Amino acid sequence: MSRTILVGTRKGLFLLREDDDDGYALDAPLLAGWEVLHAVRDPRDGTLFACTNSFVHGGQLHRSTDDGETWEIAEGLGLPEESGLTLGKTWHVEPGLASQPGVVWLGAEPACLFRSVDGGATFTPVQALLEHPTRDRWQPGAGGLICHSVTLDPEDPERLYVGISAAGVFRTEDGGESWAPANKGTAADFMPDDPYPDVGQCVHKVHVHPGNSERLWQQNHCGVYRSDDRGESWERLDGNGLPSDFGFGLGLHPGDPDVAYVIPERGAANRVTTDDRLGVYKTTNAGASWTLEADGLPEPAWSVILREGMDFDAFGVAFGTQSGFVYARPHDGPWVEAARHLPPVLSVSLSA
Amino acid sequence: MAVLRLTGLLAQETGARRLEVEAATLEDALRALPTPQLVLDEHGALRPLVHVYVEGAREKDLGAPLQRNAEVILIAAIAGGRDP
Repeated sequence: MSRTILVGTRKGLFLLREDDDDGYALDAPLLAGWEVLHAVRDPRDGTLFACTNSFVHGGQLHRSTDDGETWEIAEGLGLPEESGLTLGKTWHVEPGLASQPGVVWLGAEPACLFRSVDGGATFTPVQALLEHPTRDRWQPGAGGLICHSVTLDPEDPERLYVGISAAGVFRTEDGGESWAPANKGTAADFMPDDPYPDVGQCVHKVHVHPGNSERLWQQNHCGVYRSDDRGESWERLDGNGLPSDFGFGLGLHPGDPDVAYVIPERGAANRVTTDDRLGVYKTTNAGASWTLEADGLPEPAWSVILREGMDFDAFGVAFGTQSGFVYARPHDGPWVEAARHLPPVLSVSLSA
Repeated sequence: MAVLRLTGLLAQETGARRLEVEAATLEDALRALPTPQLVLDEHGALRPLVHVYVEGAREKDLGAPLQRNAEVILIAAIAGGRDP
């Protein structure tokens, strides 16, 4: 089946279209000149969304209903005057469930979430997260105080999760009206007085499994974790085959909730892939053990993959590097180089 | 009427380098852009790296009145390099 890899870069959005020879065709970028921190194709109706950022023109969201021929910029992306806050970068756009046509979520800086009910034309801020009682204990990570993960319960449209650096994971069960921290068991080693606080964790990426709403996976600044109870508690999964507990990209397998992929980096002080190679590690047993999956990847290599730099679907996984390479593979098969010499890759997203 | 001259990403997004708008003040002129959010933030403030020149002189006051046919140039202030 032919698919497209949406690659957000520092200099626009590239669409890599799979061709008949297991390769990918590359066209000139869309949204040239914009930093695209994340982009997706809405599986409900094919609309393209891109989190577009410019240090001159701010954080925006572009949407296209004609496959990138023409674009509109969303309205309403801003924070209320009384919050004393001003919108920074836009980080993650998440189309709602098929049962909620028109709903689109957008995570942004500073630690804010927006909701659209008109297909992404206009947005309003989610007030309860903006006014969260623990907000004064949230600290910005290296990328700022950012809401970078928005992940939906596949069955219950009222339940979703956000990941905020460095505040942790928060869950709502009422469509965003209230939010509870979901960080029990996840470490914040950089807080020596309380390494297991209720909030303040530096989550790097969190996903609900798309076929099992009980199960979540998380790549954190301090470890890799799995939850089997909707984020009520987390089990740490590194130290059993992973060369490092630090990383950003996180991939899953929609057909098998025990499968996950991570790309370990040396650590917070040296954010580059481990062991002088580009190594993706896979577990097939819910994190009990991990194996190196590097067939088709370059060695030696010193690569950097950002938090939105990896994605997955039913067919496989893909990721992109800060040196402008994109790799893709089926869940059981070697990696294929899908593109090279792109601008630094900020995000990768698979679409049918 | 005022004449807006657009550059860079703003021209790309607007699809024009020149736009005629009805405007009594600078703010009127900026709000008449198809995408005013690129130059004004959500609180109505001019984005700090969007520099505005009215009839050739830097203008920071959004309330500044515009003369008939005033030329308003919008430039993205691109900085680069680092101190030696």
